[in-house]
Amino acid sequence: MHDLAVYLLSNVPGLPPIVQTVHLLGIAVIMSSVVLLDLRILGVALPSQGVQELARRVMPWVWWALPIMLLSGLPFVFARPQRYFTNPVFGLKFALLLPSIALAALLHVVTVRKPDYRGTKVIAAFSLLLWIGVVLAGRWIAYADYLLPEE
Amino acid sequence: MPFEQFWAWLEMQPLSARIGESAWFPFLESIHVLSAMFVVGTVLMADLRLLGWNARRYPVTVVTGEVVPWTWGAFVVAVVTGVGLLMPRASWYVANPAFLAKVVLLLLAGANMLVLHFFALRTDRVRLQMTTGACSLLVWAGVVLAGRWIGHLS
Repeated sequence: MHDLAVYLLSNVPGLPPIVQTVHLLGIAVIMSSVVLLDLRILGVALPSQGVQELARRVMPWVWWALPIMLLSGLPFVFARPQRYFTNPVFGLKFALLLPSIALAALLHVVTVRKPDYRGTKVIAAFSLLLWIGVVLAGRWIAYADYLLPEE
Repeated sequence: MPFEQFWAWLEMQPLSARIGESAWFPFLESIHVLSAMFVVGTVLMADLRLLGWNARRYPVTVVTGEVVPWTWGAFVVAVVTGVGLLMPRASWYVANPAFLAKVVLLLLAGANMLVLHFFALRTDRVRLQMTTGACSLLVWAGVVLAGRWIGHLS
């Protein structure tokens, strides 16, 4: 897998930015679905769209986007595993991503079954902050040295 | 390249050096990516409604009216952070084909928005709304691709 990823990423013209764009468009889908739902639940966006109806409609997008983002992220990890597995910011991204996914699943279930449950605001607030953290950490993987200068 | 002296002058500004030589650059870049993806995400929500693939129970103007202010807010953040990213190496960016492609695509996205706002939404022309929605999806995907490509060109 390592050799294949290195070969494809270095020999197919334009492949790295194209695969990264797929990954980025996955982020855009996360923004248009769970993040907008978070903002709706918090009462600041999309006042006309009902929470339950919105969740039913957009949460499936999350479950499509995540595997696509995994597939578009993996080639880079395969190609340069040491760049990622020894990188604390990469670890931070996944430490934020796992609870983000768990909260998305929880929000999906709660908003569809009990859309009036008040605790959803707390879940939505954490969900929003965690997704922002995931995106920022993702971009900072390339700049780990700035955050943690080598001694 | 036009305004060569201007880009060189921009690079010479103390702020440019401060951004380019510190953690300000990655900080601004991460905010740029976050806000840009929020722009594309909100645009996606509007485009899918224009195409009739999403939120059909709400009128087009209700969906766009509630989503587009968020798009503009995030867009302003993306432009401000984008200018900050440009400053340390302005001459390099304006000579970068991917950067130029991104600017052209952003202008196309703007033109598409004007068509939507002044023609498609005013007269409730469904076919034109669908066309602008499809164009918007393609153009914004192109903006992301061109933007991501900038850093791959030396």
